[in-house]
Amino acid sequence: MPVASIKQRYVAVTIALCLAAAHHGRAQQAAEPDNHAGRVPVISGGFGYVHNVSGGATSLIPQINPVLLVPFGQHVLLESRTDFTGFFERQNQTSGPFKGKVFKTVEFAQLDWFANSHIMAAAGRYLLPFGIYNERFQPIWIKNLQDAPITATIGTRTSGSGDGLMLRGVATQRPQYSLQYTAYFSAHSKINQLQAARVAGADASIYLPQARLELGTSYQRFLEGHRINSVATYASWQPSSQPFDLKAEYDHSHNGHGYWLETAYSFRQLSAPHFFQRIQTVARIQQFFASNGGGNGLPSIDTQRFDFGLNYYIRDDLRFISSYGRSFSSHTDSNIWNIGFTYRFLFPLWPEKRQ
Amino acid sequence: MINKAICLSALALLLPLPIYAGKAGKAQDTNKAASTSAQNNVQPDAAERVFETNCARCHMPPSALSQRTTGTVVMHMRMRARLSQRDEQMLLKYLAP
Repeated sequence: MPVASIKQRYVAVTIALCLAAAHHGRAQQAAEPDNHAGRVPVISGGFGYVHNVSGGATSLIPQINPVLLVPFGQHVLLESRTDFTGFFERQNQTSGPFKGKVFKTVEFAQLDWFANSHIMAAAGRYLLPFGIYNERFQPIWIKNLQDAPITATIGTRTSGSGDGLMLRGVATQRPQYSLQYTAYFSAHSKINQLQAARVAGADASIYLPQARLELGTSYQRFLEGHRINSVATYASWQPSSQPFDLKAEYDHSHNGHGYWLETAYSFRQLSAPHFFQRIQTVARIQQFFASNGGGNGLPSIDTQRFDFGLNYYIRDDLRFISSYGRSFSSHTDSNIWNIGFTYRFLFPLWPEKRQ
Repeated sequence: MINKAICLSALALLLPLPIYAGKAGKAQDTNKAASTSAQNNVQPDAAERVFETNCARCHMPPSALSQRTTGTVVMHMRMRARLSQRDEQMLLKYLAP
């Protein structure tokens, strides 16, 4: 069968499924629950500063990631996040004046359509939904440790974002579990601030609300140059009885494979003075095994790393962060220190109209 | 060998904490959203569970949200966390009853 014919059938089936799901959703929305939630445009995001010392070289890293949210009714949302990260280091690594520049990146700028529980569509520039890190833990105010895992570049080439179409939603939801899915296609783009690679992929996860356990897997096919497959499996667990958080992910690609495992524990339930209840401790271990010389953002040699972090929540939106890490490889071993603060902000852009 | 010992000992530091904390009793959650919901008698158990389980999967839940921004923020979260329409409605009722 000709390739064009297969593509036409694929597109026709996809459109038919979307229309059917949208019609199903309209039927579900007959009774709109009552609440007083407003939908005014919002500017939110994170702001922070990290003082990094890696292998003896000091870097000053201020950053701000404003998120713009503009709703159009209850079913359409325009959302965008731009990252401004300054990177300043000493001219001679360990001596001399600090020099550097501010990097600006449009991380996502997408138009979302909420058809119903089963179908949500996003068009434009979106974060590549590979594994759990890139899409969910990248914001400075969310991540427990400021340095990304070694394998975070797997499945997120070339910019961490894709330009195209993404479908996602809840395939099925029961009291015991819910199944979520995502499918996407990104076109190649060389436009300034909108660089993206031609990729296609999917993600599926099951969430068990009683156990508060999420298990998922991601697949991606890189469709330009050397076409490679990338695969990830991940787990996330927050037991209901304790403020304990466990996240783990295994990634595999042509250039290597590896895993990371992160645990975090908040002291807020400890019978201790209020001051100590604001402390969060974090630990992460990771191992990476290079294949075919590594590359594409991955080390060329096997690398292991351990991080231990201590965060202090002054408020739920403002925290002091610190961490120590040590990286081990056959090339060199090095210490990595991070210290700084993060702040989450949220402002309505204008008052809500009275209805 | 030393590397593994360091990693395992660090993890061992964190893993016993939940067991120790179990004696500390229930969470002393002071968030305004929870108390507001309880006062308004809006399915507190189910809605609170949706709020805590879904928000805490990625980040520390906010202590408060103004009503006029709640709908927008929950739309954003619905797309990011792949929440169902039912969960979205429960969150809205819980956060802005």
